[in-house]
Amino acid sequence: MQRYKICLSLKSSMGHKLISNNISLVFSLLGGIILLFLVAPLVGLFVSVKAPALFETFKDPAVSESIILTLVVSSVVTIISAVFSIPLAYMLARKKFPGKGLVEGIIDIPVVIPHSAAGIALLGFISRDSLIGSMAEGAGLNLIGSPFAIGLAMAFVSIPFLVNSARDGFAAVPVRLEQAARTLGASGLRVFATISLPLAKRSVISGMVLMFARGMSEFGAVVIVAYHPMTTPVLIFDRFNSYGIDYARPVAAIFIAITLMIFLLLRIYQKR
Amino acid sequence: MSKENNILRIEELEHKADSFTLGPVSLSVNEGDYVALSGPSGSGKSMLLELIAGLRIADKGKIFLQGEDISFVLPSKRSVGLLFQDYALFPHLSVFENIAYPLKNHSFVKHQIQERVEELAGYFSLTHLMSRDTNSLSGGEKQRVALARAIAYKPRVLLLDEPLSALDEELRESSKEVLRQLKSSGQTILHVTHNKDEVEGLATTRISMYQGFIRSVF
Repeated sequence: MQRYKICLSLKSSMGHKLISNNISLVFSLLGGIILLFLVAPLVGLFVSVKAPALFETFKDPAVSESIILTLVVSSVVTIISAVFSIPLAYMLARKKFPGKGLVEGIIDIPVVIPHSAAGIALLGFISRDSLIGSMAEGAGLNLIGSPFAIGLAMAFVSIPFLVNSARDGFAAVPVRLEQAARTLGASGLRVFATISLPLAKRSVISGMVLMFARGMSEFGAVVIVAYHPMTTPVLIFDRFNSYGIDYARPVAAIFIAITLMIFLLLRIYQKR
Repeated sequence: MSKENNILRIEELEHKADSFTLGPVSLSVNEGDYVALSGPSGSGKSMLLELIAGLRIADKGKIFLQGEDISFVLPSKRSVGLLFQDYALFPHLSVFENIAYPLKNHSFVKHQIQERVEELAGYFSLTHLMSRDTNSLSGGEKQRVALARAIAYKPRVLLLDEPLSALDEELRESSKEVLRQLKSSGQTILHVTHNKDEVEGLATTRISMYQGFIRSVF
């Protein structure tokens, strides 16, 4: 009887294992298709680019200028946005205030609206008829088609990445540690600078890198507020539209390689 | 307890949070007293500690420290040290930096910080741990670091929230010895505990709390 029970139990455990293995196999196949779908076009792009074309593209001043413009504007915008976004993220993580849900909703708006529509909205915001545009015109500046406009479009679509990541980072810092710091003589600002920010640093930096990467990749909003000077995503579109895929492909390959390198650095930083 | 010798005086303190109401509570503590505040969970003793430390603001009543009304003074300006039950050590700072933290906040200069931290490290047998990460410390070591940090800038009153409850029997005895030494150095201490026996041989005054009120003082 005892042996029979053991046999039954063994059979049952083997049965569970078999089902579990079957599920793993099916799920792995389904997941594999998704991975293939994500990786195949990128691999295809790199494989199809001929070395001489890549070399020529590297030497093309229009390409290098667009890459520099894209990287510089995205970096500056990320740093400036961080000054405003990090305190907001801290408030959202720590404080209760009326309309907090509304504020959180506003932060997520750029994620849900079409970026070309965001570009149209920004165009109205900085056009000559607007307050900001007319003030700039008074100072002899035309904002439309300027690096300022590019930065504005990049910031608009990418700020949610920074705010949300930093907010999650601050929320994970135990309140007890901030309270302890206060009883040890630290002012509110000092608690933030010496306890909250260092402990949320990883999430804040991840958010900044994500914002930077998202900003530099932006096309829809940027192309509407500034076709010229050309950021690299706009240049890729321009080459494709004017000369065809063979001219767009090497620029796309270079830009994707840069983006992937940034993403790789982020992953290494997060795993450290 | 005469009013003149009071270092800490609480008058008709009331505070409501969620469904719990504390007080009105009145008590006074003399300089150098070791007051044991005991009571079951939910009696309001930790809330009272947080009110004294300034982490909560009372709805009614007043708190005086050496005659000065500190009811609305920020926690950073109260000169009230608090040892948290979980010690609340800063995980991104070393043992040295943890102890030095309040000294920096109180504008001590570099050599004063060094001297004071070394003095405390010797007092609490922490000298060999100065560069260590706080996550790598044992429970007893963590508590000694937290105590050293809490008294580093010489607060007038030290509040202890269940300081012995997380320690095993052996560590509890050595920890009690540290508290005994602190008491004999003249530090005014308010020790919250749910276990009355824990403060045997330490307490000069015992206050018992129940359902938000002080039930007895002896």
